Amino acid sequence: MKFTLGVPFSGDVLPHQHLRTALISTTPPAVLVKELRKSYAREGGVLPFWNRGSQRHMALDGVSFELRQGERLAYLGPNGAGKTTMIRCLSGRTRPDSGTIELMGQPVDRSSARDTLGLVPQEIALYGDLTTRENLFAFGRFHGLRGSNLAKRVEWALQWTGLADRGDDLVSTFSGGMKRRINLACGVLHQPEVLLLDEPSVGVDPQSRQRIFTMLDQLSERGTSILLTTHHLDEAETQCDRIVIVDRGRVVATGTFDELLRQTIGRDRSVTVRLDRVLRGEGNEPLATCGLTLAVKPGERSISAKVPEIAVGLPRLIDAVGAAGYGVVDVDVQSPSLHHVFLHLTGHELRD
Amino acid sequence: MIWKVIEIHLRRLRHNRVEWLLAFVVPIAFFSIFALIFSRGVGSTPRVKVALVNGAAESAAASEVTDRCQTVLDNLGKNEGLRIIRGSSDGDTVDRSTAEMMVRRGTATIAVVIDQKDEQISAELLNDASDQVASQVVTALVTREIMVGSAPGIPEQVDSSTSAAEPPTSAVKLPSGQSQTGEPTSSSEQAEFAQFVQNVASKPDGTSSPPAPSFVPQAFGPPKIEVVNIIGQGKTNPVISVYAAGIAVMFLLFGATTGGGVLLEERENQTLERLLATHMTMDQLLLGKWFYLTLLGCVQVTVMFVWAQLVFGLNLSEHFDGFAMMTVATASAAASFGLFLATLCRTRGQLGGLSVVAVLTMSALGGSMVPRYVMSESLQRAGLWTFNAWALDGYDKVFWRELPPSELGPQLAVLMVTAFVLLVAARLLAIRWEVA
Repeated sequence: MKFTLGVPFSGDVLPHQHLRTALISTTPPAVLVKELRKSYAREGGVLPFWNRGSQRHMALDGVSFELRQGERLAYLGPNGAGKTTMIRCLSGRTRPDSGTIELMGQPVDRSSARDTLGLVPQEIALYGDLTTRENLFAFGRFHGLRGSNLAKRVEWALQWTGLADRGDDLVSTFSGGMKRRINLACGVLHQPEVLLLDEPSVGVDPQSRQRIFTMLDQLSERGTSILLTTHHLDEAETQCDRIVIVDRGRVVATGTFDELLRQTIGRDRSVTVRLDRVLRGEGNEPLATCGLTLAVKPGERSISAKVPEIAVGLPRLIDAVGAAGYGVVDVDVQSPSLHHVFLHLTGHELRD
Repeated sequence: MIWKVIEIHLRRLRHNRVEWLLAFVVPIAFFSIFALIFSRGVGSTPRVKVALVNGAAESAAASEVTDRCQTVLDNLGKNEGLRIIRGSSDGDTVDRSTAEMMVRRGTATIAVVIDQKDEQISAELLNDASDQVASQVVTALVTREIMVGSAPGIPEQVDSSTSAAEPPTSAVKLPSGQSQTGEPTSSSEQAEFAQFVQNVASKPDGTSSPPAPSFVPQAFGPPKIEVVNIIGQGKTNPVISVYAAGIAVMFLLFGATTGGGVLLEERENQTLERLLATHMTMDQLLLGKWFYLTLLGCVQVTVMFVWAQLVFGLNLSEHFDGFAMMTVATASAAASFGLFLATLCRTRGQLGGLSVVAVLTMSALGGSMVPRYVMSESLQRAGLWTFNAWALDGYDKVFWRELPPSELGPQLAVLMVTAFVLLVAARLLAIRWEVA
């Protein structure tokens, strides 16, 4: 059993999903991106300056996806896949070359973006030499809040971040996790309908990560649609409703985790059995007739298998190993994860 | 291990262009600037700006007397060490009141009034005491011209002995309010006279006494020359306003560039990205920073001048109107300069290097470090491209010349135009940060 905010829920259904099921309906998507393209001139190339325009990097190459209302969407990709460019396009901070972005059913412009969107950058974009309260008041004012409404929202943010007792301390004196929470709070003071989070949990300890996602759960309960980029694939797998994977400026897969599994590597468990001796080149007939897909290489000390029903397949595999005259030293069973899906879709090549 | 530490630092130095700049280029640049200032190796030697007044003509003396005075003035006008400042008329001379006004406004450094009293040619030098060199140079030159003019048939051989190339060391210093009198008489002892003039012209600086009696031939006495400080008379500490302004402007520039660096810091940590995703526009952001830097600069300069008044006797309270105008204009120009430099650079490291070079160069050329009157004319002209020079001229008018605020027009105009142009330039440069 997992517990969030003291509410027990089953392992397959996340707390924010209970409420979101009702919100995800026929209403227009919170964000709808169609065929978005954006390219930049390459920097530091060897071409002379008058010819650099011809050497361009395609950051977004026809990206399309949607963020449904009340949904939490993970936007994943290797380094340089165009994640930050997408966030900048959504927040109106950069102009796409072509394509459209709709926000709550309307074409996005700067004024609608600033009122509807909340942006939380990857860096700690705060004034370290101001106190928590001063930072909150400043960013609340920049978001157009004033008077008692601003004061009320600042008090809410202090409670929400769990930093009410540190409201008058300088932000520069805080730990990374505390700064991350204030960073997040400054982006939601104006109660945006859509929240864009660029790596919200980078560089923080597991406790702070848990706290940050608890805060996001509370926003989700209020109906905030959240798009987040992250390199913590376990977060995307367990904390998000749907996942978009991009690579080289293009969307390579979209769906829930289960949908992605079905589209890519399937739900079969990977089982590795370590043997007490190396595999012989002959006398392995029981392994061949056990009814499982095995990888058997004579001279190695292990057998790998894809097992659809682990309760049925694993005993059968161990029996076959015994029948072939080998002893079992260890058994490793791996469930398919987003990590495997991600590498399957984007490959193992480094993207430096 | 020690070698490894050295190696690491050498490798880091190799990759850091800003450090190269600060370590090698900046010191050489500053050495060159100060070498130019003090060696005067470039351009012409500074010529003293002089207004000439024929006192005899003004007092309606006999035409013969007027002509004698005019002859002395004409000879002075031909001297290469002097730059004659003319009035509205075509002639070299102006009337006394105009000459005084020229000195008070700084158009001329000194006014030479030649007259005849008791049948002897005399001179009155209406001086601006802030230029401690000019009065000595002009006294020597006027002494020579009067004596040459008083000794018919002598002088060409000595006329070339003093030139613009050596004025500071050929000066005879007369303290303000003092005068030298003598009875030059005609004599056939030309060599003796020539020797005397040489002595007058070449007497080492730093003496406030008249030429020693041993130099004076019995036949020739020094002419009566009276130096009157029409600006600076009675001031307890005449240079304090100059240095207060110089230091204040230099630190205004450093403060403004540091303040401008906050913009780059915001850009580097994505605060700028976040700010521009709110209701904030780049116009509002830059204007907010500009007003803040201007306000901070005003407070900074005011605190400095208040301190100068309390400790060094600067008369701030009596000149507060002019001071306030100059301070607002200077602080606003410095604020624009800081924002311009910040938007010109891509990183704070670049800004650090560039601001050190720019601020120190402007301060050196603009007179914040050494008074501009000791620089060659070409360097003085170059200094006008810095707003330090205009700011210091403005403060000079307020505190030293005690001119009314209406006289600050050129300085205020230049500073305000500078502030506007640099702010607009900063705004244009910041476009690249708005939407890429």
